[in-house]
Amino acid sequence: MKCKIGLRRPLLIALCASLLACASVTPTTLAHMSVAKLTHVSRLILRARCLKNSTGWDAGEIWTFTAYEPTEVWKGSAPPRVSVRLLGGRIGNLTSNVSGVPRFRAGEDVVLFLTPTTLGDFSVVSWVQGTFRIHHDQRSGEDTVAQDSASFETFDPFTRKFAASGIHDLSLQELRSQVAAALRQESGAQK
Amino acid sequence: MRRAIACLTIALFSAAMIFTPAVQAYSFVSTVPQSGGCPQPNSWNLSVSSPLDRQWSTSLPSLISPVILTVANAGTSAQLDEIEQAISDSFSVWAGVSGTTFNAITFPGLEAPLARVTNPNSCTNDAESNVDGSNTICFNQSSAAFTPGVLAFTRTFTANAPGASVGTSGPAIFAGQILDADTLFCNTGEVIFATPAALATSPGAYDLESLLTHELGHWMGLDHSAVIRAMMFPFAPPPGQFLGSRPTAQAPDGPLSDDDRTGIRVLYPDPNDTVNIGAIRGQILPANPFALAALPAPSMGSSVTGMIGAQVVAVDADTGAIIAGAFSSGSCNASSPPTQFDGSYDLERLPVGRNYNLYAEPLVGIALPADFVVPGDLCSQDVTPSCTAPAANTNFNVRTLPAAP
Repeated sequence: MKCKIGLRRPLLIALCASLLACASVTPTTLAHMSVAKLTHVSRLILRARCLKNSTGWDAGEIWTFTAYEPTEVWKGSAPPRVSVRLLGGRIGNLTSNVSGVPRFRAGEDVVLFLTPTTLGDFSVVSWVQGTFRIHHDQRSGEDTVAQDSASFETFDPFTRKFAASGIHDLSLQELRSQVAAALRQESGAQK
Repeated sequence: MRRAIACLTIALFSAAMIFTPAVQAYSFVSTVPQSGGCPQPNSWNLSVSSPLDRQWSTSLPSLISPVILTVANAGTSAQLDEIEQAISDSFSVWAGVSGTTFNAITFPGLEAPLARVTNPNSCTNDAESNVDGSNTICFNQSSAAFTPGVLAFTRTFTANAPGASVGTSGPAIFAGQILDADTLFCNTGEVIFATPAALATSPGAYDLESLLTHELGHWMGLDHSAVIRAMMFPFAPPPGQFLGSRPTAQAPDGPLSDDDRTGIRVLYPDPNDTVNIGAIRGQILPANPFALAALPAPSMGSSVTGMIGAQVVAVDADTGAIIAGAFSSGSCNASSPPTQFDGSYDLERLPVGRNYNLYAEPLVGIALPADFVVPGDLCSQDVTPSCTAPAANTNFNVRTLPAAP
């Protein structure tokens, strides 16, 4: 076997960046949603701390149920504990795998855009797109958010165009303001 | 061997294997056996006597506007034939890769004929924990997993231990054996799909064949790849376009990239292959080992000692083609599990007789850790010894130091 190895400046992503224009949405899934659209289709938007994960069978599938303690409610009305179900998990001698589903760790601080399921709990709107992880900068003291789907170019079925709308390094306050603005717009439209 | 070291907060070492075996990290979903031990890549146990059963539900969404666009008229048998051809061709893409036991020419008979079923809910049995063990593609099954914006997904059930079974799957021979795979497409009309024949006149539709081929990669046990233009890259071609080239009799695997081919070869290696048998293994380590000291211990008595979740890519030095990519994660010694998160990576099934350049990048920008399961499936808290996978480390930069002789 002959394998000559060279280790060079790792700029693969830059090297391939010109190809990005050809890329778009995850086939496993997402249609583009702005924060306003996410806000509109979500029944409940909250900042919450992940408490624990559990898995269980329901409707012929293995689900991962994550319990959250809401710390701020941005839209809707939240109970003291919010349960979110996402497909996949491990039970006994079986594991159910689904690529593209966000997973959470106990103690994580997140903003979630949620929609009720027909089974009485909540799911995350558009999976990774409705998931924002909060990062606390120790130096500045500022909280920023990163959308799990940041950098995805996603398809807007209404305009039939693609847009790179992933949110990265946005201050939590700015996201909160964008949601509030969308809610005001929604409220105004209803009047 | 030419070596350069790239580092700012990390040092990248290419070296011989440090631990045996290194964890397959980049494009596979893995399972930690119920009895403990090292994570095993998920794959099928196929034989002529037990081929991959395949079926699809002919129930199509009956909305005012068609959800699957075809050249043939909706509601006709010709329409079903056209959709079935797209499904069949998508399977053939993976079965066309040389150097695998999945290759339809070298190892015929490992795929059962593609069957039709009529029940729209053929992708699961709605009874409690009653998975049918049949591998099905459904275009008209609703699921609580769908939320606004979700187009399609594939779910596989794998065995955590030998003997596990679901429905008609038969008992598993090994942990990590895939027992059931189903793909569900969104049936609400939020998005539309088109067969290859209809795509040219359907610019707003997703190419059904590209999406199917990607989803069938998940059937085989592949996870998302961070290599742009790979079929398993977590971004599809825009509506009206398709990925790679259409499969032909001469190049049935035309839609795939080399990274996809390498992935399927690693999962289903042809023992008679004499070309794709090279390997590059190593670790990505911090220049300052104390940089990782604050990370939580993944398991009792261990610590994170390498960079987790960096992408390592082998590029053909002569052609510039990306041959394979992997994620740095950990290694696992079968005699002393669980996984040690030491930054190991493993690029397997590379063509020999070639020169390679290696590149390493944190997962920021175009692809993110959330797009991949790495390294979450390398640990389990349900087995002894338990461990918790650390988060992918994207908080490092790289720079090139002068090459060492």
